[in-house]
Amino acid sequence: MSNQTNESSSEKSSLLGWFDERYPVSSTWNKHVGEYYAPKNFNFWYFFGSLALIVLVNQIVTGIWLTMSYQPSNAEAFNSVEYIMRDVEWGWLLRYLHTTGASAFFIVIYLHMMRALLYGSYKKPRELVWVIGMLLFLVLMAEAFMGYLLPWGQMSFWGAQVIISLFGAIPIIGPDLALWIRGDFVISEVTLNRFFALHVIALPLVLVILVFMHLVALHHVGSNNPDGVEIKELKDNKGIPLDGIRFHPYYSVKDAMGSVFFFILFALVLFYAPEGGGYFIEAPNFEPANPLKTPDHIVPVWYFTPFYAILRAVPDKFLGVVAMGAAVVILFALPWLDRCKVKSIRYRGNSYKVLLTILVISFFVLGFLGTQPSTPLYTKLAQIFTALYFMFFLVLPFTSANEKTKPVPERVT
Amino acid sequence: MSTEDQKSTDVNLTRRKVLTGASGVVGAIGAGFMAVPFVGSWMPSERAKAAGAPVNADISKLQPGQMLTISWRGKPVWVVRRTPEMLKILAENITELRDPDSNESDQPSYAKNTFRSINEEFLVVVGICTHLGCAPLYRPAVGSPDMQEGWQGGFFCPCHGSRFDLAGRVAKSVPAPINLEIPPYNFISNSVVRVGEDPAEGGVA
Amino acid sequence: MKKVLWIASLLLLPLTITMNVQAAGGYSIEMESADNNLRDQESLKRGAVLFSNYCMACHSLKYMRYNRIARDLGWTDEEVISDMAYGLNIVTENVMTRMEEGVARAVLGSDAPDLSLMARLKGDDYIYTFLRSYHQDDQGEWDNKVLKGTAMPNVLEGIERHATPEEYAEAARDITNFLAYAGEPSKLQRLDLGWKVIAFLLVLLLLLYLLKREYWRDIKH
Repeated sequence: MSNQTNESSSEKSSLLGWFDERYPVSSTWNKHVGEYYAPKNFNFWYFFGSLALIVLVNQIVTGIWLTMSYQPSNAEAFNSVEYIMRDVEWGWLLRYLHTTGASAFFIVIYLHMMRALLYGSYKKPRELVWVIGMLLFLVLMAEAFMGYLLPWGQMSFWGAQVIISLFGAIPIIGPDLALWIRGDFVISEVTLNRFFALHVIALPLVLVILVFMHLVALHHVGSNNPDGVEIKELKDNKGIPLDGIRFHPYYSVKDAMGSVFFFILFALVLFYAPEGGGYFIEAPNFEPANPLKTPDHIVPVWYFTPFYAILRAVPDKFLGVVAMGAAVVILFALPWLDRCKVKSIRYRGNSYKVLLTILVISFFVLGFLGTQPSTPLYTKLAQIFTALYFMFFLVLPFTSANEKTKPVPERVT
Repeated sequence: MSTEDQKSTDVNLTRRKVLTGASGVVGAIGAGFMAVPFVGSWMPSERAKAAGAPVNADISKLQPGQMLTISWRGKPVWVVRRTPEMLKILAENITELRDPDSNESDQPSYAKNTFRSINEEFLVVVGICTHLGCAPLYRPAVGSPDMQEGWQGGFFCPCHGSRFDLAGRVAKSVPAPINLEIPPYNFISNSVVRVGEDPAEGGVA
Repeated sequence: MKKVLWIASLLLLPLTITMNVQAAGGYSIEMESADNNLRDQESLKRGAVLFSNYCMACHSLKYMRYNRIARDLGWTDEEVISDMAYGLNIVTENVMTRMEEGVARAVLGSDAPDLSLMARLKGDDYIYTFLRSYHQDDQGEWDNKVLKGTAMPNVLEGIERHATPEEYAEAARDITNFLAYAGEPSKLQRLDLGWKVIAFLLVLLLLLYLLKREYWRDIKH
């Protein structure tokens, strides 16, 4: 209850006390939940961290259950997915939970990253939170890419074929590197088996460890907020931030509410549109992989399309790979590219608002272009919006040093 | 002062308790619902059920005293066509049996009788010794030369010497603890026995 | 901030247009609407029988089992075997073609693909239109407007010739309906469960919202 103070260990019920003497149960709870003081002005953009954690748990649990029936072999992979869909009790629901979760994961993560861009959550002292987050993003993309090979449909096979051949474009080491990744001369059962191992256990382990580190880093410095005010600077005589409230019960309850709203949106997709209009489960994947027959239209899954559009915008194969990689990697540098002392967009100059708007629009347009065949018009558009995308990062160091910022309040609003 | 305004009026506390309780209950129900697909998916799949589906045995050519073997759910199932002499011995020889009324063993209700069968003439029994799982040998002849003195016909397990009569009933003082298992079965017709399905689901009881 | 969201939403509009095109495989030929109803069990039954008479000679439905079809369409185990399988199968078996492997390729020039997922791959409208798009050229050779150069013969030719246009359309629709069902047999179960789940979540959301509001009265703003 909100009006209870925490008892010292000698007054606790003996069971908890027994544990506390041997393991930091209560102290961990207090430090990270019960007495973790978060800013009281979290808004809509602050739901996506907890949502990401929920989706991760969903992917792991449904993934484990799918692994009970899935078979990672050339002969049986595609069959085993249909076995899950038809012969396994509730298999269809487990499968759709996993596919919907995969797309939901990226929607949540992109919005989660957007929050950081809006409120300067990557700035000092939170650079490491951002860097770990970016590592998480990279690992998540690898995890999703490998997972998509497993159904062994036409799009699984050919999508992987295209992306791995990109590695082959790297000068000198390229072809050997692609061969090493595949483990074979073309994508084969060898590739399928190793992607299965990486997708099911190796990368999830890395994800869980990085998430843990991400939260530790965050809690070490304390959360940012929509006003970009450092709440730890103004504390009361008990050392509690004036604008801070305990995570539990205030944000546990608020996040529970937010999660259920998210579940409703999730359920709408899960039960009424699991194929996501052909974007979450792609139609060509309902045909088994055929190395001798290329689909008309090879597209990566929707969450990769912005980067795919950047890749195709550059006429040179290797430079396209570099551009695509740079588009992701440049995000790592954001804490150091952005030189404005003011964190939140609410108090920043117009130059940042304009730049960010252009970045977001470019991301959406590139995303759309990535789903389309590369006609001359679309290629030209992709080039323009690729330039606009990179412009954000290249111009920011200069504009951010001279922004006409508004005065940042002392207390949150 | 800290931001948290700690009113402790009774109305607030009660309302909080009620709402927390209600949310907790509904949430727990939701969690229960969520467990259904995960627990349910462990039930045998349609493929497993297909592989474990009932099997038909054609007994039209089975001679009196003869036995045939079929496979059901990976287990050997014997169908023995018993002679009147065999049935007479089964009705009389009870004293040497550990469980003549089949109280301890596994059989459908319609096989809980002296002859452990629907139709006296035919024994349908799972051919796995109830001791440690070997396949017993069929020794129907009274006084078989390779069997012990006083052998009245039945099944002999070579692994550890367990003995069962021609109704699958286990002898006293042998390692096997209970009678041989009788599977569900029914007669679709006079010449076909369907193993793995009770009579109520279709067929002659 | 709101402006960003508005502009972004507007830019998402083109996506909705491409969605349906993407799902249907991006065909430039105009498709007739199949107008099939998965809840029409009589249509599905007719479609299943038509499938066994007109399609199963070459095509398998290898991911479907007869007993599942019986359960979902309202047949008994005996009825599905007598009506769909000429009494030749056990009810737990998968629906396989009667044709031996390699014969289709030898005789017609192409393997007849399994049809379990054809409706999800190409869409219901594609199947319906395809069945009805056969035409003869001047030499009397058959071809199909939807899949030019197809090795598949015009299986519904007899129905088109001897039945009324409505009956012909119904036959094509029933087969399409059955194949749509076969593509995702659990679809109706999914739809029927969905609103119940969402209704439950709405109740839970209301409770949690009230709980949140109650606790947040503590917070001075």
